[in-house]
Amino acid sequence: MTTNDHAHHEGESYFDGPPGILAKVWQWMSTVDHKKIGVMYLVAVLFMFFLGGVSALAVRFELLDPVRTVETLNEAGELVQHTTGQRLAPLIDIMSAQNANEVYNRIFTLHGALMVFMFIIPSIPASLGNFFLPIMLGAKDVAFPRLNLLSWYIYVIGCLFGVLSILMGGVDTGWTFYTPYSTTTDADHWRVILMILAAFILGFSSILTGMNFVVTVHKLRAPGMGWFDMPLFIWGIYATAVIQVLATPVVGITLLLLIFERVMHIGIFDPSMGGDPVLYQHFFWFYSHPVVYVMILPGMAIISEVISVHSRKHIFGYRAIAFSSLGIAGVSFLVWGHHIFTAMGELAAVLFSGLTFLVAIPTAIKVFNWIATLYKGSIAINTPMLYALVFLFTFSIGGLTGLPLATLATDIHLHDTYYVVAHFHYTMMGGTVMAFMAGLHHWWPKMFGKMYNEKTAMLGCIIVFLGFNLTFFTQFFLGTQGMPRRYANYVDEFQTLHIISTYGSWLLLLGFLIHLGTFIASLVAGEKAPANPWGGLTLEWETESPPIEHNFHHEPVVTHGPYDFETTVPPHWDPKDFPLPENPSSH
Amino acid sequence: MNTPTLASANMSFFQKIIFGDHAASEAGAWTDGLFMMITWFSIVCFVILMTLMVYWVIKYRRRPGVAAQPSPNHNLHLEILWTVVPSASMLVMFVLGFKGYAMKMVSPDSAMELKVDAWKWAWKVTYPNGASSPEVSFLSYSDNMAQLESGETDTYIKSTGLEYPVFYVPENTSIKLRMHSQDVIHSFWIPEFRTKMDVIPNRYTGFGFHTPKLRSSDTYLDSASMTQAPGRDMWIFCAEYCGDEHSRMAATLRIVPQDVFDAKIKDWGTPKDPIELGKSLYNTMCKICHSIDGSPLIGPTWASGNGFGFGYEAALADGSSAMRDDNYMRESILDPNTKVVAGFTPSMPSFQAQLSETDINGLIEYMKSLSDRNSDGSKNDKNNQQADDTAGSDG
Amino acid sequence: MQTTLDADTTPAPAHIANHPTHWRNRGFAAHWRTRDDDFDASKFGMWLFLTTEVLLFAGIFCAYAVFRMLYPEAWANGSHHLDWRFGALNTVVLLISSWTAASAVRCAQLNKQKWLKINLIITLICAAAFLFIKFKFEYIPKLSEGKGPGAFFTYAFAEDPYEVLWWSLYYMGTGLHALHVVIGASLLGWVLYRSWKYQAYGPSEYLMVENSALYWHLVDLVWIFLFPLLYLIH
Repeated sequence: MTTNDHAHHEGESYFDGPPGILAKVWQWMSTVDHKKIGVMYLVAVLFMFFLGGVSALAVRFELLDPVRTVETLNEAGELVQHTTGQRLAPLIDIMSAQNANEVYNRIFTLHGALMVFMFIIPSIPASLGNFFLPIMLGAKDVAFPRLNLLSWYIYVIGCLFGVLSILMGGVDTGWTFYTPYSTTTDADHWRVILMILAAFILGFSSILTGMNFVVTVHKLRAPGMGWFDMPLFIWGIYATAVIQVLATPVVGITLLLLIFERVMHIGIFDPSMGGDPVLYQHFFWFYSHPVVYVMILPGMAIISEVISVHSRKHIFGYRAIAFSSLGIAGVSFLVWGHHIFTAMGELAAVLFSGLTFLVAIPTAIKVFNWIATLYKGSIAINTPMLYALVFLFTFSIGGLTGLPLATLATDIHLHDTYYVVAHFHYTMMGGTVMAFMAGLHHWWPKMFGKMYNEKTAMLGCIIVFLGFNLTFFTQFFLGTQGMPRRYANYVDEFQTLHIISTYGSWLLLLGFLIHLGTFIASLVAGEKAPANPWGGLTLEWETESPPIEHNFHHEPVVTHGPYDFETTVPPHWDPKDFPLPENPSSH
Repeated sequence: MNTPTLASANMSFFQKIIFGDHAASEAGAWTDGLFMMITWFSIVCFVILMTLMVYWVIKYRRRPGVAAQPSPNHNLHLEILWTVVPSASMLVMFVLGFKGYAMKMVSPDSAMELKVDAWKWAWKVTYPNGASSPEVSFLSYSDNMAQLESGETDTYIKSTGLEYPVFYVPENTSIKLRMHSQDVIHSFWIPEFRTKMDVIPNRYTGFGFHTPKLRSSDTYLDSASMTQAPGRDMWIFCAEYCGDEHSRMAATLRIVPQDVFDAKIKDWGTPKDPIELGKSLYNTMCKICHSIDGSPLIGPTWASGNGFGFGYEAALADGSSAMRDDNYMRESILDPNTKVVAGFTPSMPSFQAQLSETDINGLIEYMKSLSDRNSDGSKNDKNNQQADDTAGSDG
Repeated sequence: MQTTLDADTTPAPAHIANHPTHWRNRGFAAHWRTRDDDFDASKFGMWLFLTTEVLLFAGIFCAYAVFRMLYPEAWANGSHHLDWRFGALNTVVLLISSWTAASAVRCAQLNKQKWLKINLIITLICAAAFLFIKFKFEYIPKLSEGKGPGAFFTYAFAEDPYEVLWWSLYYMGTGLHALHVVIGASLLGWVLYRSWKYQAYGPSEYLMVENSALYWHLVDLVWIFLFPLLYLIH
């Protein structure tokens, strides 16, 4: 274990580069350094998150009241009629839409497409994964640094295609592009094709990143680091990468077939030509179900790190968590049909229902392991840890509410209702986003060499937690009571719950704005960060904050496990400040 | 008030806030029970987990100078326990889920088969005698008539959603649906039966349900007699995104006594005055896209004047024009996208599969009754009551 | 990986031998500990990429299987229109090209620069021949008869209403494959260019040749599956 005896030389961090703006810009544009690429991805995905969030705010704004025709009898005795509730109507002309409903439909499609393809799939792997995978392995970079840069540029091009489609007015197909609607809607082909192509191109970025990470984990571990000496963050990213490599090509061919169906009427999804629109759904979900595990596995990977470091406890059940990550990746390919229960035959439905329960088990085991890790720990209540606890709260709700959706009898009622919307927001936002926030706050000092204001970050966390639950918890009830998804309009009885949900969304916005302010303040005027502010034992805490260009001064040699808090004083720490227990447990 | 009600007596608190009302069928109620069982299981697990989490975070919070106490980081017995117990619970959920699903999918052979047609953006139910319902009702309705009468206010305000078709079914009867879509994928959802099924264009799908016996508290407002009649209304929603008016593709399922049902479908099955037939078809099938008061919706208005309506020249999207005569109207119904009016998009589906010659004739007669012109464009002198009532502008 | 068996030790002309791109002069990426690690990792990466290509084509095969089950007559009719002899000829052409691609790898390993180039050239000729046979004797005649994909299917004598689906999948499958033939040929062309100009590949530096040949083998393998499914099954 190295100690902080190597003086920090000025101008050595990966951030420092040639003088002059143009030279600096060119350096970042042509970099093959995984850290710089990770930071560029971070900025991009956070930007996409805000764009997607704005569209969500618009959706919730529309849902404040249902569309009503109000007739009043005025004093002159004349019946005066006007329509209320079409809050997005002012956007009709800008988007060249036909009516307020079409505006709403385009905006919720935008929300889904942006959030799924441009934010959440790349989010953790491309930003934190890129930055920390090599460092945690003790390597200088990923296996294929130039391919990494190519991945980044492909991502940028994919996003540009998507943005172009949006600027042309956007599409109203839903992010799932179900046929026959997606192949027959909207006389203007180009907007639909551009959006589908955006998703197709982004898929390539995902595949190449996945390939890179798999090879990196296999081939670039430091001497002394066997598979079971790796931090669990790596196991999670590795399992994610495996899914990315295997599943993404299937959506590639699906989207390609969809484009040709739309442009050339090849007929395989067109019922009038003998094709089957439900076949599209099977093809689509064969990728899109595994991809939700691409979304959550990195988040789970972060939680393993944050909880153990901030509790100073060896993670409970290391191998269980490692194998469950792989298990989830494997079983995730078998359950896609649970998105289509209402459009398949009975035998298939039964099979998929059973298999879906299978994938819930490794997930539950992980949650138990994380909570067990807290036992007899020394737990710091700071923003990363608070977000990890929030994750445990909201992700558990998300996972548990998946049970009625896996159960056939109840899914037939809940499918395509707000219950499903609440479920996937609890898992994707209450899961991945909360974990992302935990990871960001945990690793921010390492990435940028600056601390952030802990008080405002905690405030942001609390407000985000409150806003999130207010927004989405009501939606479970909306779903069970009868509110379908993707509805611009609804019956009066649902209005109260919708109003509460919309107010929650405003609180969420406030929380994230506080975080944005905290991060900007940190970059501008934050206190300089030490190399190991939290006392972590994984290799990234041995380097400087921020790391030097080649990550390590000398190739690291692994002399302790990533979670040996009972026996090891962390690098750069004074043993006085990190008391070790007298009789550490034998394992 | 003829809105489906959510309120019902003698309901547990959870039933009310979760589902709003009891399920209307035994299979539905069984599903509710299963849902509550899974939810209680989840709540218990969640409370245990969160309690442990919060308790340990507080109890083991960091104290400066104090090391974390040593503890093992795996425990075979515990890990087996927390693998086996959830697995067993999920097996139970799976099996019960399958049972409840089968209850809702299977119908007795004697069940009355209703044919359901879906298109963008309306439902149509055809009864065994070939008839279909011409009735419509509001799904959302409120007015302040009571306050007006009591003097609390002096302005009358009525607030409504759209009107949707009403499908009558008899009480205590097994029903099975045979469903088909004319265009994109829709989904027929009756929340109170806790069942939905996608309606797709390339094959029939369906499910079954058994209507409940009417309770003494079940009434609806009969629009003909303006009195409360025995019956129970429930919502039908489209539950698969299908475009602009997806959120307005609804209907009311009205459960009535057997004799009322028999009388209704017999009445609908008998031939009617063409204009009345056309009007009822308009209400149930065309209203969502075509207005009769001059306002442009997804499709052109049927009201005459300002260049629209029967007997007026249509300015088409390709720059040509065509007279809106009988043949134009017929072509618009059967092959709507050959002539598209300027300023509108080709989004109308063909109704060839759903309208008989009698139906088409009725629609054309109804359109004529709204207009002040003849089919050659000349002014029509006859006293045109419906045109006066419904047209918002003069020609 | 390195071998001296039958190695061709004729020295290259000076201006090539001293060029930094010559195989003897090339290093390996700095973040690898050894050259072997770099080589193994890159090969592993290539195999992963080939897996994604297999999964890409799997979608087409899956659609083929679904519709064959639904419309067996249309499927039988469709394949009757194809001349199995052109398909067989193309198969032979691709098999030869795979053999020469593999030989090219062996030549690079043995520093047989002349034969490396010859094998690559033959491979490229086979690729061109494949595309030529495909376009001249299959696509163009079929399209002129109206046997096109989807909206371009104007063949008036189709016996089965769903035959158009077979044609759509035929064009999607063979079209995607032809695109991959072009990509593979481009890769091999690039390798040929660098061999010719720099002698960039040799016993310690033949990864690019190997990876390009692997890609080419995949292209061949996809055709080996397409051929019987489209041409031979009735």
